[in-house]
Amino acid sequence: MDLLRFLLFSISFLLAVAVSPTLSSNSEVNALHALRARLSDPTNVLQSWDPTLVNPCTWFHVTCDSSNHVIRLDLGNSNVSGTLGPELGDLRRLQYLELYRNNIEGKIPKELGNLKNLVSVDLYNNNFEGEIPKSLVKLKSLRFLRLNNNRLTGSIPRELTALSDLKVFDVSNNDLCGTIPIDGPFGSFPIESFENNRRLNGPELKGLVSYDFGC
Amino acid sequence: MFAPFGKEKILCQLLLFFLVLLILLATSIASSSSSSFRVSNTAPSPSNYAFQQEAMEALLEWKASLYRHNNRDHNNSQLLLLPSWTVMAANGSNSSNPWKWEGITCNDEAAAAGGVITIINLSSMDLQGTLHDFNFSSFPDLLRLDLQNNSLFGTLPPTIANLSQLIYLNLYKNNFTGSVPVSLATLNKLTFLHLGTNQLSGPIPLEIGNLSSLTVLDLSFNFLINGSIPTTIGGLKNLVGMYISSNQMVGSIPMEIGNLTKMNSLMVSDNLLTGSIPISFGNLSKLNFMYFYSNSLSSSIPLEIGNLTNLYDLQLMNNYLTGSIPQEIGNLRSLTRLYLSKNSLSGSIPASFGNLTNLQSLQSSDNLLTGSIPASFGNLTNLQMLQLSDNLLTGSIPASFGNLTNLVRINLLQNQLSGQVPQEISNLSKLQDLQLANNHFNGYLPQHICINSASLIFFSGSNNHFIGPIPKSMRNCTNLMRFRIDKNHLTGNISEVFGVYPNLTFIDLSYNQLYGEISRNWGKCLQLTNLKMTGNKISGRIPPELGDSTQLQGLELSSNFLVGQVPREMGKLSSLLILKLNDNQLSGTVPEDVGLFSKIERLDLSMNNLRGSVPKQLGKCTYLLYLNLSNNRFNGSIPVEIGNLVSLQILLDLSGNLFTGEIPPQFGSLNKLTNLNLSHNNLSGSIPSTFSEMLSLVTIDVSYNELEGPLPDNRAFRNAPMESFIHNKGFCGNVTGLQPCISPSTKKQTPKHSHKVVILIISILAILLFLLFAFFGIFSFFRRRMRCIVEDPIANQQ
Repeated sequence: MDLLRFLLFSISFLLAVAVSPTLSSNSEVNALHALRARLSDPTNVLQSWDPTLVNPCTWFHVTCDSSNHVIRLDLGNSNVSGTLGPELGDLRRLQYLELYRNNIEGKIPKELGNLKNLVSVDLYNNNFEGEIPKSLVKLKSLRFLRLNNNRLTGSIPRELTALSDLKVFDVSNNDLCGTIPIDGPFGSFPIESFENNRRLNGPELKGLVSYDFGC
Repeated sequence: MFAPFGKEKILCQLLLFFLVLLILLATSIASSSSSSFRVSNTAPSPSNYAFQQEAMEALLEWKASLYRHNNRDHNNSQLLLLPSWTVMAANGSNSSNPWKWEGITCNDEAAAAGGVITIINLSSMDLQGTLHDFNFSSFPDLLRLDLQNNSLFGTLPPTIANLSQLIYLNLYKNNFTGSVPVSLATLNKLTFLHLGTNQLSGPIPLEIGNLSSLTVLDLSFNFLINGSIPTTIGGLKNLVGMYISSNQMVGSIPMEIGNLTKMNSLMVSDNLLTGSIPISFGNLSKLNFMYFYSNSLSSSIPLEIGNLTNLYDLQLMNNYLTGSIPQEIGNLRSLTRLYLSKNSLSGSIPASFGNLTNLQSLQSSDNLLTGSIPASFGNLTNLQMLQLSDNLLTGSIPASFGNLTNLVRINLLQNQLSGQVPQEISNLSKLQDLQLANNHFNGYLPQHICINSASLIFFSGSNNHFIGPIPKSMRNCTNLMRFRIDKNHLTGNISEVFGVYPNLTFIDLSYNQLYGEISRNWGKCLQLTNLKMTGNKISGRIPPELGDSTQLQGLELSSNFLVGQVPREMGKLSSLLILKLNDNQLSGTVPEDVGLFSKIERLDLSMNNLRGSVPKQLGKCTYLLYLNLSNNRFNGSIPVEIGNLVSLQILLDLSGNLFTGEIPPQFGSLNKLTNLNLSHNNLSGSIPSTFSEMLSLVTIDVSYNELEGPLPDNRAFRNAPMESFIHNKGFCGNVTGLQPCISPSTKKQTPKHSHKVVILIISILAILLFLLFAFFGIFSFFRRRMRCIVEDPIANQQ
């Protein structure tokens, strides 16, 4: 009797599981759906993000290229809060990550470094904490990196001087420490890009050991 | 006093024991009138009374350990947690009666065996705590232990094996951790073992094969149990249900499982199993459920699977299975669900599938299947769901699909299917979801769709070669939510073909050859968020009624033959994010109401005949990322309020208009703008120096204007080709092809250093020259005087 009851129970449970929406076969749908789960969205900006669709290209605030891969994510000024997660690394063709002027907190996922096509990363005016991931050095196409007005700590990764396409770099209004790199594109960034970091020291002195230890 | 030893010692103890028992018996008889036994009035025999005591004490001790972990108010917990488990009876008497304790069942049928606890059932009682203080040895007669659905945690004590008579053990849905104790394998009377939905880890003990009475083994949803499925599991000859899903099992599925011929349910899904499906599984003739999905199984599906004539539900999706689908699967006459999606299966779909007349759901998407959909599918009259998307299927949809009157969902997306969709599809009165996009279908759309029933909710035929008109019967599809028919060769007049769709959210007719006018009915589709008709031959005006559909977020009517004005009523569409009306013949001015598009991100009005000034209210659209007003007849000055659009990033294009006046210096605020085109206008004056603040600018075009003066200090200008500046009044600057600037203001820009040096040199030279002349002047004056003095003395001496 118990056996029958148990079997019936497990069958109905499994039926329920099988009928409920399973993961999409599109990894970018899953990635954005996971992002949506992490974000709190009081003004329903993500209302069109329907995970049952075959790709996210008809979702608002998402732009795809001709092969239906996500190239832009435009959520600036959208009143969202919450955190970002590693799933962003699945948006392989992403070029523009626009998440500025929100209330997003937590760390900047190191998986962003996997997005080789990134041209613009705008995370400014949020509540991001933790360090600037060194993995960003892999973003060879990066032109715009605006992380200002957050609560980022740690030093500016020296490796970023290798990003020769970097035109705009703004880390002002954070809690960074160490010294300001001067190599590569960093030679042309105005001092305003670094201001209001209490423990960030002036441009690094060449030929001397960098002061980033203990930072 | 001498220490008693040996026999005397035992004798003393026995005497003492019986004395205590007598006293206890006396007191219990005295109060037995108030206590009641469940079945008979037989007083418990003395020996079992002691066991009963022991058991009670063990239970109380365990209950006390639960207190420590309960987060309820300790004062109240006495009342709330197992309140009946008390030594004091309700009336205050001293008798304790485990017969009345909740969850405790005793067996007192056999007087000789007496009352012993046989069942402990504490399921769903919100218990928190561990089993570490549970004295299992106090329950030698326990038959059933059910602790399912609590919050118990900690490891499973190996002493649980002291429950030597245990038949049923259910610890489902708790938080137990650690390994499955090997000692469990000694419970050789166990028929039911459920440890699922915990956090158990470690391997399944090999010894599990000793539990020869076991009918149900459930270790599923622990997510951490690892190692291989032991081959000894083949010893569980009575096993009916094996559930190991959602763990981290590795290795192959043991072929010994094929010996378990009583097996009814075999679920090992969501693990890391590799290897092939054993051929021996063909012996499991009673199998109803076979879930192997989400593993790393490889090789082909064995044809022996075709022997499983009792199989209801076969789920093999999300593995690495290869080869063809065996046609023997057509023998599985009991099959209701067949899920093979997300593998690498190749070859054709066997025609024998037509024999699966009980089939309700067939999913084989995301494979490498080729060939046609068999016509025999027409026999699958119970079929509700058919999903074959993302394969390489060719040929047409069989006409026999018209027989599949129970079909609710057809998903054939992303194949190479061709031919005309059978008109019989229109007869499927339960059809809600029809997905045909990304194939090579041609011919007409089903012309009688929705005539019999308005069941259709989702339709996508995008990216095919459909011709002909949109079916007139579409007016009846009143439950429609999403309709996509973009990228086809549809023709016909759409003015009257669409009805009112109260649930419609998304419709895309783009890139066809549709003509006629935009229906006013769209204004009555109050859930509409997306309306796209780009790239057709639609004419007439934009109906003002569109403004009633206030949920509209995306409106794209580009590349048509629309005339007339942009209706003011569109200002009601305050949710608009994307508005594209470019490449039409719209005329008149842009209404001030454009400022009401407070959330708009992309606005494209280019390539029309719009005139007048650009309303300054446009400056309120501060979320704009993309603004294109090019190729119109806008005149007047560029409003300075455009400088408020600080989110502009992708493009600001005002080219090809009749703008006059100067470029507003407020453009300097657009520090995220990457592409700016102001070419082909009548702009005058110089480019504001504030352009140096447009740090993100990558491309710039100011050609064909009346501009002059210096180029701003901006890298985009320095890198721009000559074509970006040609046909202006007179730019200057340090860029190749331009004259260097000579006006005073430019001097400030050239480095002062070299000028200083020049001035210094000139002044030094001047001073030197002056000194030289002065020196010569004085020298020659004195020299003349000296000559005079020398000459005179000679004259004076004669």
